[in-house]
Amino acid sequence: MKRILIIDDAATVRLYHRQILEAANFAVEEAMNGIEALEKVLQSSFDLYLVDINMPKLDGYGFLRELRSGDLPQVPAIMISTEAQPADEQRAYAAGANLYVIKPVKPDQLLAQVRVLLGEVAQ
Amino acid sequence: MALVKTQTDEPITVDARQAGRDCASLMVQLAASDPTARRWAARDLVDCPDAAPALVARLKQEADVSVREVILTTLTSLGDATAVAGLVDCLRSEDVALRNEAIEAMQKLPDAVAPMMRGLLADSDPDVRIFAVNILESLCHPEVETWLIEVIDRDSHVNVCGTAVDLLGEVGTVSARESLLRLQVRFADEPYIRFATDLALGRLREA
Repeated sequence: MKRILIIDDAATVRLYHRQILEAANFAVEEAMNGIEALEKVLQSSFDLYLVDINMPKLDGYGFLRELRSGDLPQVPAIMISTEAQPADEQRAYAAGANLYVIKPVKPDQLLAQVRVLLGEVAQ
Repeated sequence: MALVKTQTDEPITVDARQAGRDCASLMVQLAASDPTARRWAARDLVDCPDAAPALVARLKQEADVSVREVILTTLTSLGDATAVAGLVDCLRSEDVALRNEAIEAMQKLPDAVAPMMRGLLADSDPDVRIFAVNILESLCHPEVETWLIEVIDRDSHVNVCGTAVDLLGEVGTVSARESLLRLQVRFADEPYIRFATDLALGRLREA
């Protein structure tokens, strides 16, 4: 079972994404900010990250920069944010995101993008 | 085997103030090349009632996180109109960390922030409106629920409403029920709003 780490400070958003992913048979873990996410990345392995931008302690850009520059397992990351400006998307890719998605996501859309980044056939 | 502390005769580095401590000197030292000097200046400016403009100006260009923290603490202590306006300005910054630090600082100033909250929640930039809702998350003020209900009744942006619903799920009472139901109808094609409002409706407390 593929493992996905959801990194978002909004409990409702984490729960929404978790519900969609678990219904599609993915194993899900959650982190409330970038620091907590880095701790989880050091403790166990994941196949994909869903990363919010605005989070206290360490934001999504900071998490991706730490992840991509460190000696850590490298897997794809989808940045999911309320921020819809082209500059936000460019910053996300510069920080190390593989895909940029604007909230709120629809379940089918999220699953299709997750499967593409996991190398599975989109359904 | 017991652990034995290593003894050392090396002198302990003292993080001491090096320059003049009058307000004018402290404002000059906010631009010192040494971050330690800037940090001490920012800290000591708490006793200078007119320091907010200089602190706000420095905050916008300060790269050292520890100096920024002290500037924000001092601005929060000063809490005057210039300090609060400077924090509001930070909400428009492209620097995510600075925005989050400003949000945290504003959460500590309920009396100063409350009069401008309706203006922030009606800002033309939806990102600023979302940050304003984020401020409400820890703003200890009796109007928080009223403001959140106004947001979900009036705001046309799905993510502003979604952020407000998330918070209503934590602080909302039955007073929010009708507005949450109306929001479900207004964003009937958004599964996230359906999910978040159902969750919030199930968590509403008695008023």
